[in-house]
Amino acid sequence: MKNVIEIENLTKSYGKNRGVCDVSLSVGEGDIFGFLGPNGAGKSTTIRAMLGFIGFDSGSIRVLGKDIKTSREEILRDVGYMPSEAMFYPTMKVRDVIKMAADIRKADCSKEAAMLCERLKVDTEKRISELSLGNRKKVSIVCAMQHRPKLFVFDEPTSGLDPLMQTEFFALIDDYVKDGATCLFSTHVLPEIKRCCKNAAIMSEGRVIRVDSVSELTRTNSKRIKMVRDGVEEDFIYEGELNDLWRELEGHDIGDILIEEPSLEEIFLRFYKN
Amino acid sequence: MFTIYRHELRQYIKSMLIWFAGVSGMGLICILMFGDMKSEIDSMAETFSSMGAFSNAFGMDKLSIATLSGFYATEVGLIHSLGGAMFAAMIACSALSKEEEGHTGEFLFSLPVGKAKVIGAKWLAVFTNIVVFNLLCVAVYCVGFAVSGESIPAKEFALFHAMQLFMHTQVGAMCFAVSACSKRNRIGVGLGAALLLYAFDTVARILPDLADYKFISPFSYSNASDIFSSGEVYTKGALLGAALLVISLATAFGVYSKRDLAS
Repeated sequence: MKNVIEIENLTKSYGKNRGVCDVSLSVGEGDIFGFLGPNGAGKSTTIRAMLGFIGFDSGSIRVLGKDIKTSREEILRDVGYMPSEAMFYPTMKVRDVIKMAADIRKADCSKEAAMLCERLKVDTEKRISELSLGNRKKVSIVCAMQHRPKLFVFDEPTSGLDPLMQTEFFALIDDYVKDGATCLFSTHVLPEIKRCCKNAAIMSEGRVIRVDSVSELTRTNSKRIKMVRDGVEEDFIYEGELNDLWRELEGHDIGDILIEEPSLEEIFLRFYKN
Repeated sequence: MFTIYRHELRQYIKSMLIWFAGVSGMGLICILMFGDMKSEIDSMAETFSSMGAFSNAFGMDKLSIATLSGFYATEVGLIHSLGGAMFAAMIACSALSKEEEGHTGEFLFSLPVGKAKVIGAKWLAVFTNIVVFNLLCVAVYCVGFAVSGESIPAKEFALFHAMQLFMHTQVGAMCFAVSACSKRNRIGVGLGAALLLYAFDTVARILPDLADYKFISPFSYSNASDIFSSGEVYTKGALLGAALLVISLATAFGVYSKRDLAS
């Protein structure tokens, strides 16, 4: 499987402020790749460097086999990007924004755009200024998908979308990926990563701290323990062997005990803290 | 590139029509008023031409406001040059920075179009607006002359408006460079700069110590009284203006092409 995104030793600083440091990751063709990390971890900086919005101090970025520094325009022809803010020109009508994006791509995307607008229930006659964040996001999805790109890059795509539209959005990603597209998306919503991503990278403080398959990242020996010991309620994450826990509990009065898998948040918090 | 150019023209059209209506409307009223005021102006003309520094500042020492040429140069010339410069400053100051201020930059620059093409299309749209604004104003002034049955020297009129177009383009280019360097709209800076350059030109015409430096302001080579009285252009000012125009555009291209897009 060839790589669609190859980032090697990317370093970008904003004056004295840290941006990202020595970031390396690759995304294979046909993958749905999750990009995780707390606010300020460097996810957006990496994405913005990857799309040529910002320069970088050192390292290299190749997207779809081409160098972003020398072939930015060519690369963007095959990329569909959805920014987290989804801002457009407020006085324009939705249909004009969608058409403008297609015209700049010099492509007739009318059929695909109509299909997307129907599935996402986009009112094309409204002005951008009349739209809520969720509806602007839908317009942004149409603009990112209408030319059937080889690579999708989504920055927190589901914020503002209602659950029905989120389901439709993930269904659309599945459809395009089945047709050969690749998808990278950054999100804070961990269940989304488990729901649709094959692989993921975790960033913290400007560095990639782990890249692995989602099944590996979410596999853990940890258990969440909720119990009443000697009349006192306890709730904690237990990292060791369960047999050791039983031995520890011997001689105590156990009123109630519940052992469950830790939440995704707890699993990922462990990475961030480490 | 054409799509962005067309998009930019649409964005400016309301603003351009408002400025055109305001500036040309005031100019037209002045032209139409001249016929009615002619007899009264005759008696005022001599007073206005001998008011020392005030007369020098507004060119009434060179031209008589009792003639349409003089009246046009001192009244309409002032309105048109200042109004046009402010309009040019306003649209050019926001041309590039509005993408970052409005957070639309990520949408625009995620499309397969190079920064140089975006800058080119946006400058072309600014320039087109300046040209159309000037042409429409000239057309309205000509209608005013036709209606009032008066005429002014065609050569000086054409030269004055050619220099006005040049001056507005220079102010636009300088503000375009400001827009390229800024992540926020600097319309206030642009309008302030236009007014400051006008004020400098006026003061340089009053104070003898500053007379040698009046070429700094683009209003020096596009001054209506100078052109209508001499039929010539102040070359030193025009050459500096041309140089500043080129430097400003080169700065805009150079800075914006390399600058990080603000989030």
